[in-house]
Amino acid sequence: MPDLQATLDNIVPDGSMPATRRPSGPPMIVMQNVTKRYVPERAALEAVSIEIDAGEFVFIVGHSGSGKSTFIRSLLHEVIPTSGRIIVAGHDLSKIRVAKIPYLRRNIGCVFQDFKLLPNKTAFENVAFALQVIGKSKHVIDTQVPEVLRLVGLEGKINNYPHQLSGGEQQRVSVARAFVNRPPLLLCDEPTGNLDPQTSFGIMKLLERINHTGTTVLIATHDQEMVNRMRRRVIALDEGHIVRDQNRGVYGHAN
Amino acid sequence: MPINAGYFLKEAGTSFKRNWVMSIGGIVTIFLSLLLIGVSLLIGTAANSLITGTENKVTIDIFIKDDANQADVEGLQRNLETNSMVKRVDYISKSQALETFKQQMQKSPDVINNLEGNPLPASLKIELNNTHDVDKVVATIKASPEFKKICDRPDNPESSLRYGQDIVQRLFNFTRVIRVVGIVFIVMLAVVSLIFINNTIRMAIYARRNELSIMRLVGASNWFIRMPFIFEGMIQAIIGALLAIGIIMAIQFLALPRIQSTLRFMSFGISNSFIWLISLILIAGGVIIGGLGSWLAMRRYLKI
Repeated sequence: MPDLQATLDNIVPDGSMPATRRPSGPPMIVMQNVTKRYVPERAALEAVSIEIDAGEFVFIVGHSGSGKSTFIRSLLHEVIPTSGRIIVAGHDLSKIRVAKIPYLRRNIGCVFQDFKLLPNKTAFENVAFALQVIGKSKHVIDTQVPEVLRLVGLEGKINNYPHQLSGGEQQRVSVARAFVNRPPLLLCDEPTGNLDPQTSFGIMKLLERINHTGTTVLIATHDQEMVNRMRRRVIALDEGHIVRDQNRGVYGHAN
Repeated sequence: MPINAGYFLKEAGTSFKRNWVMSIGGIVTIFLSLLLIGVSLLIGTAANSLITGTENKVTIDIFIKDDANQADVEGLQRNLETNSMVKRVDYISKSQALETFKQQMQKSPDVINNLEGNPLPASLKIELNNTHDVDKVVATIKASPEFKKICDRPDNPESSLRYGQDIVQRLFNFTRVIRVVGIVFIVMLAVVSLIFINNTIRMAIYARRNELSIMRLVGASNWFIRMPFIFEGMIQAIIGALLAIGIIMAIQFLALPRIQSTLRFMSFGISNSFIWLISLILIAGGVIIGGLGSWLAMRRYLKI
């Protein structure tokens, strides 16, 4: 692993580096006319077409039931669209074989509102688990895990169990776990939903730092204040339709 | 991805320690199920050897009139000996028959003393390879011309034959029912234990569903997720099977000899090699049930 910390330290996290819409190579995510119906009468996503380039930092906004979660989960191939085509990190999901799905997911880090940490494992073990189960060696684990925990600002608490950490700290562990494998894409489903505004902002800054390493970051949220503060690309969903796609956007009134 | 057996074993061991109540539950379930199956096999075999012993007592006796032509008797005997359904044919002379009769009647000397001469006929005693063929052999005998010449009562040849005419059929019906019931019982036990084990493993998996969902999210391959559970299931099954085998061995080598010594008239006749066969069946069955049970129980948690 190249000296990531040095790279990160050289980046001034004030947006001086152009992090939006850097066309470098093929897009990270392509959706073409994607429709998903859980029941025939109502579409969770309808005719959604979008492109997200590698290295972008994107908010998906909209209230409950607008299709945010379906959007995120369809990128993980947890939800299979009724029609349309999705390409993620070079994998065409309509053609992917079941055996290849784990390899798709190794290219995608995931952060959730409820952290999904294992309560009987320490911060170190929780992060190490993500590497163990994809067959990484002990050597790789022992070097990368402390590094990523330092990156998220938990160097002093690597042996704490989740119940010994605050909500913000737990979310940092979960970000560390999502990022430890250096995936090119990070998906966050309401990452700040359970956190107070100050802590949320810290997590957002952390995600921004991760974005500056070149990782594409996609955040589904209804945290208006946060979206308005960050001024990044905003994709607004309402009843399964994209109603707005705006660079350096605000939350707005997606109705 | 390198398949890391050490990791799987370590994971299985850790989970065993961590969820030991669940693991003990699984082991006890498998142990009891396999014990029931093993004991039923044991009882079934004992019953079967009793039944077979009884069935083998079915023989055909042909009573021969006193002035029968010896050449005809020997001709019939030779004919029957060449019959593939017949195991052996013994000629029992009048004096041999009397001797046997006297032995049987030892306790009532009056009967023996009142005998005038030797009223007992000579006979041919036929043992069969398979006692179920008795009707066919009887038919062959009745059809043979020698039989009509030598039989004790030429006016009623039927009464010169003794093969437990009615009893044989009833005995065979009875033993068939017992065998079918035994097999059905064992199959039911096997199904019940599969369901039990599947449920136990399901519960163990349910207890760890968060771990599983995270493994899936970070891209662990399905086999990687499955292996520790399958190992765990098989380890539990092997321990359960060993316990069951221990009990069955104790029954065979400690309990049965005592029962046998009090019930001398019955022969259970379970050979040690059969006990080893049962052990093998239980171990193999346990491993298959444990592994398969885990795999089946895993399926719904690995839907992608």
